[in-house]
Amino acid sequence: MLDEILKKFEEAACHPELLKERYLSEGKQIVLVAPVYTPEEIVHSMGLVPMGAWGGDLQLQESKRYFPAFICSIVQSIVELGMKGAYEGVSALIVPSLCDSLKVLGENWKYAVPSIPFIPMTYPQNRKPEYALDYTLHGYERVISDLQKATGKVFSEKLLRVSLQIYNEHNELMRETVKELAAHPEISAQKRSWIFKSATFLRKEEHSALLRQFLEELRKQEAGKRKLRIVTTGILADAPSLLKILDENGLQIVADDIAAESRQYKTDCEIGNDGLVSLAKKYAARDNCSVLYDPYKRRVEALVETAKAVEADGVLMVLTKFCDPEEFDYPLIRNACNAAGLPIVEVEVDRQMENYEQAATIIESFKEMMESK
Amino acid sequence: MAEEIKKQRPAPDPNSAKYKLNMIAKKAYDDAFAAKERGELVGWCSSNFPVEIPETLGLYVCYPENQAAGIAARGGGERMCSIAEGQGYSNDICAYARVSLAYASGAPAEEQPMPLPDYVLCCNNICNCMIKWYENLSRELHIPMIMIDIPFNPDYDVPDAEVTYIKNQFLDAIKQLEEITGKKWSWDRYREVMEISGRTSRAWLEATATAKYVPSPFNGFDLLNHMAVMVTARGKLEAAEAMETLLREYKENHEKGVSTYRGEEKHRIMFEGIACWPWLRVTAHGLRDRGINMVTTIYADAFGFIYKDFDDMCRVYAKVPNAINLEYARDKRIKLCNDNHVEGLLVHTNRSCKLWSGFMYEMSRQIGEECDIPVVSFDGDQADPRNFSEAQYDTRVQGLTEIMQSRKEAQNAG
Repeated sequence: MLDEILKKFEEAACHPELLKERYLSEGKQIVLVAPVYTPEEIVHSMGLVPMGAWGGDLQLQESKRYFPAFICSIVQSIVELGMKGAYEGVSALIVPSLCDSLKVLGENWKYAVPSIPFIPMTYPQNRKPEYALDYTLHGYERVISDLQKATGKVFSEKLLRVSLQIYNEHNELMRETVKELAAHPEISAQKRSWIFKSATFLRKEEHSALLRQFLEELRKQEAGKRKLRIVTTGILADAPSLLKILDENGLQIVADDIAAESRQYKTDCEIGNDGLVSLAKKYAARDNCSVLYDPYKRRVEALVETAKAVEADGVLMVLTKFCDPEEFDYPLIRNACNAAGLPIVEVEVDRQMENYEQAATIIESFKEMMESK
Repeated sequence: MAEEIKKQRPAPDPNSAKYKLNMIAKKAYDDAFAAKERGELVGWCSSNFPVEIPETLGLYVCYPENQAAGIAARGGGERMCSIAEGQGYSNDICAYARVSLAYASGAPAEEQPMPLPDYVLCCNNICNCMIKWYENLSRELHIPMIMIDIPFNPDYDVPDAEVTYIKNQFLDAIKQLEEITGKKWSWDRYREVMEISGRTSRAWLEATATAKYVPSPFNGFDLLNHMAVMVTARGKLEAAEAMETLLREYKENHEKGVSTYRGEEKHRIMFEGIACWPWLRVTAHGLRDRGINMVTTIYADAFGFIYKDFDDMCRVYAKVPNAINLEYARDKRIKLCNDNHVEGLLVHTNRSCKLWSGFMYEMSRQIGEECDIPVVSFDGDQADPRNFSEAQYDTRVQGLTEIMQSRKEAQNAG
């Protein structure tokens, strides 16, 4: 039974194109949501299907006409997929403005993939003051107006509050799943990744239903033998070759601070009378992330605290090449882990990466470091 | 044995704009050191942070980007970048940031010393990388960070909601700075600073616009030096006077038919991007040797901050080059190309600057088509000398020259 559910996660994670066809054949309209913290609750509430656009592992060809080589490959591969027709049939792409590469993505998309409208979501970085809420709301209003134009669908406050509840429930289930997985070393890093990746493609109510079944079955299962426990941190860590190395070395991810994984699900929405205001407050409440202004770099300490709380043996920094926000944080994270006596290594990854030999060597040494402690 | 003959450079004319502008830049560092010595607080400030705020409050601030450019231009870029890399910073990070983080960690830089900060003033209208850099400075030096977020505007016009958001942050920043430094904000003083900044900006815009004359009365590389004053000191009276001197000199050059560009101006180009500071001489000579004058750059437009009141100032700071969408950025450049009779576009694909270079391929294609000029790019970096190839630069500039030359010949023949 557990395997059957995992198979469903795998299918959604590995074949978003089939999912896209399914939704379209059901008469649904799809809106792509680029990373990070795109207000997909709004999309969902308008009866549209938000599907994550985090790019894909492929060689870049067409997108090179638009990007110099030193722009992150997540962004470049989104355009590559768009130019190659992988997103044909979707109604729009929403891109938030939270890093320089994302700003560039939107500008290039307009010309590289003119058939799919680009919808910007401009967020305030100084997000805590009261006045910043108004600016976030202005961004949401722009998104709503553009979505209405692109899809003909109408926004409703009442339906937004329903969607916020669905997203809150999904958040909670994701957090529960992470905790439960930490107690089950027999579930591989690859399988764990399918759960997260499928969450970006499936409608949240569908994913929640699968998570409930998964949790029920997992709780019945006897926990496997203890492995070395690690916490991963970074933007994206879904490359099968990398996950295979973790599994081959007997490393279990017991918690993560990955933007495409747990960072998405750690902040809930306090649903008040005004759904949009509630959603804006959810954004303002987000913290400990490399693309959000963090004057005291609390992310660094938060990561160390998480690692201690889950009794991790070490921290693995999965650094997406050319990702400034993470590259600036890495030396501070490394120093803080060192000070806390937590082994840490950095593995650089790229959407175009084919050769993982260096990553394998680093992870083997990491394993030895943790074992010798 | 042949005796070495050194050319005697004439003593600089203290009444010249060049002298005055250099002195303003130098004095800013001297004043900051003196303030630190007296026990006053000194800040580090990002280049497009509204100078009106520290100037009105009478604060002493230094500009890490200018420092990094100075260090790189004098040969220290690689050394400082390597120090930061040794501390764990990726060599993919902006080289200005690497130089600055190395300096903040205590690495000496005789090329351009400046006092360490007691607070940092950050504005991300130039890039979000700036936030990360200043967060690290703030954390590593245990000092407060004041942050004004001016978001990238995906639309052509600045929405009122953005102006309101920016204005509220300006007012917050003033309050924070009053608390940190004990200095008091005066609206009368602000209006004076605004007047001076406008005066300086008008002179700068008019001076750079004299490139419309053929030949241009100045060498465009002059702008790269003078812009430091526009960035850091445009609210100071001496800056306004120096820029007015510069304007007068350029007008006189035009009237006399002379120019600070040495040699015959055979071709006129626009240079796109931050200067390749470690290779400034090489990049300048590559053009001069072929009779090319870089008559304009977006800096000519970028540092003209003219506004009528506080709200308008907020709007102007949301219109700086890296905060605007492709279409607005493109149209500004098309205007510069047309106004200044530009015949070719040379683009610096700057590895340090993802935002500036990230949509430059498409934008420069559109500029080339609209202005009917050839576009050539080269790979380089604003401060890390390792990211530049002299051979590639030479080949690309030669290619650009040949296209411009053949077009000219066809025009003359036709």
